[in-house]
Amino acid sequence: MTVPPALAAPEAAADAAPREPGPRRAARPTSGRRGRRFPGGRPLWLMLPTLLLLVLVIVVPFLLAVWIGFLDLDQYTLRQLFSAPFIGLKNYSEGFAAGQLLHSIWISAAFSVLTTAFCLPVGLLAALAVNSAFRGRGLVRSAFLIPYVIPSFVTAMVWRFLMRPDGAFNDFLAVFGITGGQWLIGEQAFWALVIVDTWAAWPFIYMMTTAGMQAIPDELYEAAALDGAGWVARIRHVVLPGIRHQLLLGLLLSTLAHFNNFTLPYVLLGSPAPDAALTLPVNIFQTSFQFFRFGLGSAMSVISLVLLMIPAIYYLRASKLTAAPGED
Amino acid sequence: MQLSRRSVLFAAFAASSTAALAACGSSDSSSSTGTGAAGAVDGKGKTLTVLVAAQPNYPTQFAAWSKQVTDAFTAATGATLAIETFSNSAEETTKIQASIVAGTGPDVYQLGTTFTPVAYGTGGFLELSADDWKAIGGREKFSPETFGMSGPSEDKQIGIPSATRPFVYAYNTEMFTAAGIASPPTTWNDLIAAATKLTSDGTYGMAVAYADGYDPWKYIWAFTEQTGGSYVSEDLTKAQLDSEQVKNAVAQYFGLLTQHKVVDPAAVGWKSGDALAAFSGGKAAILPMTSAAAVPALDQGAVKGKYAFAPLPDVAPGQTSRPAGAPPAQSIVSGDNLAIASYTPNKDLALAYVKLVTDAEIQQAQFTYFGNLPTNKEALAAVTSANPVLAPMAAAEKGSTPTAFTGAWADVQNGVQNVVVQSLPELAKGSVDPASTASLLEAANAKAQASLDRAAR
Repeated sequence: MTVPPALAAPEAAADAAPREPGPRRAARPTSGRRGRRFPGGRPLWLMLPTLLLLVLVIVVPFLLAVWIGFLDLDQYTLRQLFSAPFIGLKNYSEGFAAGQLLHSIWISAAFSVLTTAFCLPVGLLAALAVNSAFRGRGLVRSAFLIPYVIPSFVTAMVWRFLMRPDGAFNDFLAVFGITGGQWLIGEQAFWALVIVDTWAAWPFIYMMTTAGMQAIPDELYEAAALDGAGWVARIRHVVLPGIRHQLLLGLLLSTLAHFNNFTLPYVLLGSPAPDAALTLPVNIFQTSFQFFRFGLGSAMSVISLVLLMIPAIYYLRASKLTAAPGED
Repeated sequence: MQLSRRSVLFAAFAASSTAALAACGSSDSSSSTGTGAAGAVDGKGKTLTVLVAAQPNYPTQFAAWSKQVTDAFTAATGATLAIETFSNSAEETTKIQASIVAGTGPDVYQLGTTFTPVAYGTGGFLELSADDWKAIGGREKFSPETFGMSGPSEDKQIGIPSATRPFVYAYNTEMFTAAGIASPPTTWNDLIAAATKLTSDGTYGMAVAYADGYDPWKYIWAFTEQTGGSYVSEDLTKAQLDSEQVKNAVAQYFGLLTQHKVVDPAAVGWKSGDALAAFSGGKAAILPMTSAAAVPALDQGAVKGKYAFAPLPDVAPGQTSRPAGAPPAQSIVSGDNLAIASYTPNKDLALAYVKLVTDAEIQQAQFTYFGNLPTNKEALAAVTSANPVLAPMAAAEKGSTPTAFTGAWADVQNGVQNVVVQSLPELAKGSVDPASTASLLEAANAKAQASLDRAAR
């Protein structure tokens, strides 16, 4: 089976299509009086209120968190927020030495990567299943979103009930001859987290994938069909290249969201959590609001942020979303 | 042009939001409240804000309680009462944290008894003077045991007891009668013997919630105290979670399932609600570590009319008597305190509120609405005489022992709780290696000691 050149390089076909007026064109400097008032042709000063809000809502709390991470701030020094003892990097060293920080980072990383890995095929197959029109497709598409729109708290409560030793989940597994046992204690608690979060989060991958598929022109499918491409070939040479960006963005956002998920492990497993499922957000919560080590908790939050920025920056650079006008 | 207009509108919205945010930071807390010549508080034009626990299981009752208290407060002081709620301890902690840092927020807080030492550690709450106690109506109106978690000493109390929830055990009277057990046992040995007798054919003697977030440390604490040990030394400087008493207490606690086999093996994954369901469904004969709050659920279950309460035993498992000096420790001093924020400009109004809700009338109403036992002596006597089933709770209250009043308590309590959580997989297999619990206790002790050292600075 041969694949038509247009399908082998869908980007080339896309490049050949007439360009929509995009931000790069709008960014061209304008001349004359308007250009003098708005450098680059854009009235950037109108963004000032937004920037001010961003500074108030994001930058100030972030800087405060960084600062608190250098303080010995706990319930005894809480009233002296700005004069609590400055201890430099001691909170960071304590976090790594005694706070199970590395263990929690490992648990969160494994949890987020595994959950995303399980969500990927489920979401992708679901999107493919409803990509072609059929009667009742709207209903099926809506039904697919149900796990995603249920609040995390409710999901966790329901699954906590289902995963009891005598719960419906073990009954379901028993049909296949599998003995489920105690899901919410010990090592199994980690897998309980992965299973429940996969159930709740796969529709996100499905949505991102569906959005990508809808942007693929019908002509590409038609051309593939004319060339005799089967289902697998169409997926491989039309669908996957066409949804690459959306899928990668979906995987990144999904991984970050799982890493940051606090509600699910907290409600599903309680606190203290089994060591095997002590995720970083729960560890930070315990440190800050159960042991009242606000300084240590802030330091751990900053570490968490830095860790999350690594894949985010990598993705932004890889996808060139941060490229300045004129750069490729 | 359209874009411009939208941007301008957004800018206006953002600017107004910013102004609103800025306005949130300031509130009218300028003047203090006047006290009339006769001691009556004149709060006309003032608003007192209180932060209390939400009652999601009793929404109608909470609305009725709020109205009763608000009306009575306004009638007594002329001031308005604003009632704010928190749904969990994390929310309350966040609120306290923000209020203490900002120096503004609710005037009166409802605190759990085991959280009161932490709140005391912040220094953000009023230590009550003799005059303050007088304004509240005097110490004499309270059951003396309820002061156990009010402060580190009598002259440094921040917590005014407002509700008490002593822990007791419930037992199935029908099963007890059928088994020929004439009266509720008063030692753990006898209670275990009764449970052994009552374990058969899918029914278990005891319902114990091993995976609960709070119950386990209370069992272990009681067994420890009753054998002369303690989680923390009396001078609050030394953590003793690695002591022999605590190690034995942990072993005895797990032994209910592994050695005596009076607990359903599935209880390894039970929360307190599961244990309650097992008892109320007639699947277990004894439900230890429960309180008056269980009554509505029990009255809706198969045990309705077939249960009674009794104080928890005061002699630990494996013992025939308590060593000299060991407390009965039948229950922790459990319930709620009220604490007045030290930043409040409405101290007189706050005292008037506290007086109102700790007086006999509202205390009795509080029991009717939520099942919380009164801390007011007169109200407690009235409630227990009208509800004989609750008399054991009043007795348990007298046998209660306070937990250590230290800001490090959270680390101590969570440390023991964590030992149980990490041991559950072994418990599920039927036996727990003492060496592994000893190792976990040593790690918990090191953390607790570090926290006590911080508290001692």
